[in-house]
Amino acid sequence: MERGGATALKVRDLTKTFHGKAETVAALAGVSLSVREGELFTLLGPSGCGKTTTLRCVAGFEKPSSGGIDFHGRDFTALPPYRRNIGMVFQSYALFPHLSVFENVAYGLKVRKADSGTIQKKVEDILRLVGLEGAGRRKPGELSGGQQQRIALARALVYGPELLLLDEPLSNLDAKLRVYMREEIRRIQQQAGVTTVYVTHDQEEALSISDRIAVMHGGLVSQIGTPDGIYENPANMDVAEFIGQANFLPCRIRRDGASLSMVFPSGEEVVPDGLPPAIGSFQGTEGTLFLRPKHLSVRAGSGRQNSLRGKVSVILFLGTQVRYFVDLFSGPSRKEIMVDEERRLADVREGDEVSVTLRWDGARMFPPKERA
Amino acid sequence: MRGVSGRRGLSFEPIPVLVMGLTLAILVLFIIFPLGKVVLGSFLPKDAPFALKSLTLDNFSQFFSSRLYRGAFVNTLVVGLLCVLFSCLLGIPMAWFLAKTEMPGKTIFLSLGTLPLILPPFIGAYSWVLLFGRQGMITQALKHAFGLKLPDIYGAPGVIVAMTLSYFPFVFLLTYGALLSADPHIEESAEIMGASRFRLMRTVTLPLVIPAILAAALTVFIRAVGNFGVPAMLGGNYYVLPTLIYFQVTGYFDLNAAGAISLVNVALVGVAIFLSQRLTANRSYVTIGSTTQAARSSGSRLLKWAGVAFCSLVILVSLLPHITVIFTSFTEGWAGMGLPKRFSLANYARVFEMARAPILNSLLLSAVATAAASVVGTLLAYISVRRALRFRWVLDLTVMLPFILPGIIVGVAILTGFSSGPVVLSGTLAILIIGYFIRRMPYVFRSTTASLAQIDRAMEDASAVTGASWTHTFRRVTLPLMAPGILAGAVISFSTLMGELSTTVMLYSARWKTITVAIMEYLFSSTIGPAYALGTILIVLVLAAILLANKILGRSMAQMFRMV
Repeated sequence: MERGGATALKVRDLTKTFHGKAETVAALAGVSLSVREGELFTLLGPSGCGKTTTLRCVAGFEKPSSGGIDFHGRDFTALPPYRRNIGMVFQSYALFPHLSVFENVAYGLKVRKADSGTIQKKVEDILRLVGLEGAGRRKPGELSGGQQQRIALARALVYGPELLLLDEPLSNLDAKLRVYMREEIRRIQQQAGVTTVYVTHDQEEALSISDRIAVMHGGLVSQIGTPDGIYENPANMDVAEFIGQANFLPCRIRRDGASLSMVFPSGEEVVPDGLPPAIGSFQGTEGTLFLRPKHLSVRAGSGRQNSLRGKVSVILFLGTQVRYFVDLFSGPSRKEIMVDEERRLADVREGDEVSVTLRWDGARMFPPKERA
Repeated sequence: MRGVSGRRGLSFEPIPVLVMGLTLAILVLFIIFPLGKVVLGSFLPKDAPFALKSLTLDNFSQFFSSRLYRGAFVNTLVVGLLCVLFSCLLGIPMAWFLAKTEMPGKTIFLSLGTLPLILPPFIGAYSWVLLFGRQGMITQALKHAFGLKLPDIYGAPGVIVAMTLSYFPFVFLLTYGALLSADPHIEESAEIMGASRFRLMRTVTLPLVIPAILAAALTVFIRAVGNFGVPAMLGGNYYVLPTLIYFQVTGYFDLNAAGAISLVNVALVGVAIFLSQRLTANRSYVTIGSTTQAARSSGSRLLKWAGVAFCSLVILVSLLPHITVIFTSFTEGWAGMGLPKRFSLANYARVFEMARAPILNSLLLSAVATAAASVVGTLLAYISVRRALRFRWVLDLTVMLPFILPGIIVGVAILTGFSSGPVVLSGTLAILIIGYFIRRMPYVFRSTTASLAQIDRAMEDASAVTGASWTHTFRRVTLPLMAPGILAGAVISFSTLMGELSTTVMLYSARWKTITVAIMEYLFSSTIGPAYALGTILIVLVLAAILLANKILGRSMAQMFRMV
């Protein structure tokens, strides 16, 4: 997946402070990242993490408080949006309701004073690319959400921008269309070969569509990497919590010479098979064990060796897997974990006591979260 | 994040900055400067130039020493409050019948119920004299038939009745809108819990529309205490503050005394605004949207026909003066006594011969002022909504001031500002245009602000990102999307300017008379036929403008007026 292309867009230590009536909000606290030529790069994070502000700085709608933006080696920072030669798709699509689909798409070409023959041809070509040839005479209001989305994409691409920005483009579509359109966007982006920055809060969308992802949190970049890399190897708890489903088990590492075991709050002690590198390299003794549901399994009966005891509270059938919610006997506080099995276990029912075994190759250890 | 954004990032181009500067300069020159001069002048003796040692409270102490002043103050308050009361008594039931019953003819009632707002009140006012005056048609008929003696129409009764019938549509339209937009599920849930129809009305329906009623009541009060035309026609010796101002200016040429009375009048409005805000503050209801938006209505036959009867009666009575105007304009030498003997177009012939200039003046003035108000009002709306200025409320307040202030006070301000000092414009067409322009700019400002607020900011961003400059974006995207709002504001400005009297009486000159001044002069000299011919022409022009706009905008009259 990773591309070796040259750096196209470089965001240098960007900060942005908004001055509200009562308080001052630091939306960006020093964001740095670089996007490679032709890459689909995603800014992912919860609302308020700064991803949209970063995008709006790249577009030129917001002026950063400090830091800078370079594009193809040129300093972009002080350039107004209309001098940047970029294309952008907005969350609301922002199609001009008083213009026809053709006029909407042709807008950027007319601004660039293209002749009518060129406009005619380019608009037709791009409408074909997004699969809406022949829709030119209609008004945006007559189109469905998915079609409006394609028109917005066509309008942003038709004049051959050097950079394409997509601001939560799928959030106004229903679930099924969302899945379909993200394939479409990927396909069109690949065909156009345009460097793209994509903003979303939907981790599934980000994982499926991106070449690389920057996970953002509190105005900072937490981690940059490929989808697989971030999913399998989250850099910290914030990223781990945000991407995918995960269990977090507080525990202590007991080292005894070369051997090592994990002690849980219930007093149970588990010895990992072999020594997983992610745990072997962990420095402290206290921490949080991170395990995806697929890295756990449930067995009937609570007496097994090297496992955690618990009681099944709920079983959900999720199609490709069956998810067991298990209450661990972990001392005073209740701790519920998720365990995925490929199929339903005949001998485990809701309310049964079970043993939970851990698969160590997917396990990671994080230092304990600092309590405020 | 955009909500916290104090200032919008990048302004690169000189054009928007230039436009902004010019527009704000207009505000300062035509609103802040004249009003400031009025405030200053009210503390000075007549015709005195400004000097610290000449400052005095004499103009205000008149309110304690002079019976005329005191009376005018009390009368204004009484007229305002009673107009509010009676407007609610007419408007609220009418709104309820139209919103909550399945009565027939709703569209017609809605349109006709809006008409009194459009037709200038003073034109109809004199009709009450024809109908109910000492020699009036109905007075005489009642006297002959039943020996009944009606109270004198001149003074408080006539003023209050005529104003109420002009202003009750505010209560009617706003309450109707609130009743329609209230979520029907709220009422249904009260019913499920066992509330009877009466209890439902008392505990749920009415409380939900109270904010709307309060807003309407405030509007009626402001209009009533600032109205000049009606008390001028029907007041007789019953003075209110606006007629007292007129008296001071035309009788004594004392602009400073008029300024002091104006300030007291404005204070009355200010107190009303303050009180209504206090009352509304604890009454803001946030309703969570629901999918069912159709209000439930009662199919009861009794209620249906009671509704038709009530609404028909209110509308008939409120339009009676204007019907009288039109009817009378086609009679010859008839002044309400007995039945007219001859019908002809003589009044029109006479008017076209003698009063062609006022008609043309009014058309010219209204058109020029409307054009100016549209351009400046639109730019101001754009600045207010899109430029995220820190002192936006100052801008909004300044623009809206001439809307809140009684028309005669705007007239006093413009006269004070431009009849002496650096710019002298008294007696010119320009001073009328300025007065008209600033009085109607708020209309365009408000309707454009409303339509601009609905335009997604991303539209303009989308245009900028494709490479379009500010000017290009404004011309190709923002302006076309604002156009319906601008047009609606312009039409209402134009049609109400045609019937403008209260600012006009301060600013007109023998050279530049308007159609309304001509009507007033005819009526004062009891030349009723020609006055009413002019009145009819005015009504027709106003209605034509409104109907044309309805056609273009595809919006009903009631919708257009709810917006402004």
